[in-house]
Amino acid sequence: MPTRLTTGFAASQSIASVIATKMLSHNRSRFFMTIVGIAIAFFLAAAQIGLLVGWINTNSAIINNTGVDIWVTAEQTATFDYGTPIPRHRVQQVASVPGINWAEGMLVGWATWRHPNGKPINVEIVGLDKSLAGKPAQMLAGDPEIIKQPETVIVDELFRDLLGVWEIGDEAEIQGKRVIVGGISQGVRTFTAAPFVFTSIKNAVTYTPFYREDEISYVIARIEAGADIQAVKSRIQREVSNVEVLTTAEFAERSVKYWMLETGVGITVIITGILGLLVGIVIMSQTLFAITQDHLANYATLLALGFHQNTLRLIVLTQSLTLGGLGIAVGAALFAVAAKASARTPIPLETTTAVSVGLILFSLLFCIGASWFSIRAIFKLDPVSVFHG
Amino acid sequence: MKPITKPEPVLVCRGICKSYGSGDIVERVLKRVDLEFSRGQASVLIGPSGSGKTTLLSILGCLLAPTEGELVIGNGMVDFTNKSSLTEVRRQKLGFIFQHAQLLPFMTIQDNLAIIGRNAGMTAADVDQRLDNLLDRLQLKPMRHKLPSQLSGGQRQRVAILRALLHRPSIVLADEPTAALDWNTGKTVVELLLEQARLEQAVLVVVTHDTRMLPLFDRILSIADGILTEQYQTAALENTFYTHS
Repeated sequence: MPTRLTTGFAASQSIASVIATKMLSHNRSRFFMTIVGIAIAFFLAAAQIGLLVGWINTNSAIINNTGVDIWVTAEQTATFDYGTPIPRHRVQQVASVPGINWAEGMLVGWATWRHPNGKPINVEIVGLDKSLAGKPAQMLAGDPEIIKQPETVIVDELFRDLLGVWEIGDEAEIQGKRVIVGGISQGVRTFTAAPFVFTSIKNAVTYTPFYREDEISYVIARIEAGADIQAVKSRIQREVSNVEVLTTAEFAERSVKYWMLETGVGITVIITGILGLLVGIVIMSQTLFAITQDHLANYATLLALGFHQNTLRLIVLTQSLTLGGLGIAVGAALFAVAAKASARTPIPLETTTAVSVGLILFSLLFCIGASWFSIRAIFKLDPVSVFHG
Repeated sequence: MKPITKPEPVLVCRGICKSYGSGDIVERVLKRVDLEFSRGQASVLIGPSGSGKTTLLSILGCLLAPTEGELVIGNGMVDFTNKSSLTEVRRQKLGFIFQHAQLLPFMTIQDNLAIIGRNAGMTAADVDQRLDNLLDRLQLKPMRHKLPSQLSGGQRQRVAILRALLHRPSIVLADEPTAALDWNTGKTVVELLLEQARLEQAVLVVVTHDTRMLPLFDRILSIADGILTEQYQTAALENTFYTHS
């Protein structure tokens, strides 16, 4: 007698994977077309989510790059981009609060840049204080210190064409006043379509119509080493009137939430991402169902020959995960190419490890869900049908 | 005629009835079938269309539950309410041959057979050894790596015979295995099936419409209107069970 093994899960899995892969690869054109379909659907979803991640990163980039602990804003400030004027002496008030190590101002306002060809362009002016906290992280040309010079600004390389300035020394106008390009930054994108223009607070006040000379938008501060940030926050809130005190993380989150949720931009992107995944599910569900229908007689034969229903379900699940896994791998490769290509554009596709892993797991889960109809068809199968020719 | 020691039956039907429908419209397809099958015994099941042949074969194959009666395989009574145990019986104790062989079209002959052995709990080494032996016996070695579509109908049925015997079942059930074959090929296939089933000491039950095949079997089971009659036609077999005083 041959040695008998218990037909445990491992044996069933091995049999199921042999049958599943051979069944799939038997019809190669359908196999490849399904993978292409899933890959495109996954890419669509990944691209939408990548766009969202890129936008979130763009949206909170200046806040996070400033390297401070606390932001003091006018009450009800919705986002970094919509700074509301507060008196400049709030800087001294904040600096005098116990636990604060350092404080400066920052001004964010909107103005009209005049392209040399006369075309008006909305720009977002970022006025920096003495230490230049909030300056561009990377410079293509020039030194950030240059903005301390009168009429001098830094623009980003991404918007040189839009703004009509290409190199240091080029001139344009903001609100009818002359500006000179003193430096060119790298990778400072904008979420609002209005390019960022960096300058000193002193210069910025002259370009932004809604600010007086003694006004700024934010007080940015660093706390002393070992100080409790929440305690310092509360102290500022108590001692400085008509302001809101936020940590850097809180302000970044508020800004992101505003653009993503309150403006509907994020919702649209999320919905499009989900639609992409749904398209993938439909493609896979239909293909799996068609494959299962084509092979119902074979499944009935296997049932009659003593294969357990669970083994047959495992075949469908294996097919689903094979198709899904390969489709996702191809889609992820497409995304990587697209992300690389978009890295130096105003609309980058970005991701994080958590987002990538989450999306892949979510997609695989959807792939398993897509096999439900096929598994149902197998569940209803009557093995007696093998005797009917 | 005085009975002597009768071999232990491998397959026993006791009072098997099968009805379809309910209420006023009940069709009784099988009416109290009592049968015993012993090791190495080859029976042929004949009868007109709709007489209940396939129903009986399906019950013997643990694919269909009888309305009444008991089925005993080996030492155990089959529990038709437990799907899992039915699968287990089919997996270990039964071999099937269908009208159209029904090999998986996307797998080679080797793979078609190996999955049956593996599913029955044989090790890969056992499967290989057994396959070598059976492929040799059935002269199928050159076909080993071919797809079913590359084989003739007769060759496919030979593979189906091999598939049915691979895991050493105690019972082999065949549903019109020659229906799709010409007479000569069909006869060769049935002769091969009988030879191999006897060699393996398996109970063989074959459903056929072809009365020319009947002389090849030990016993003829004839079914009409759900009533079964049996006739032994091999003296040697009769003598195995009974002796004249």
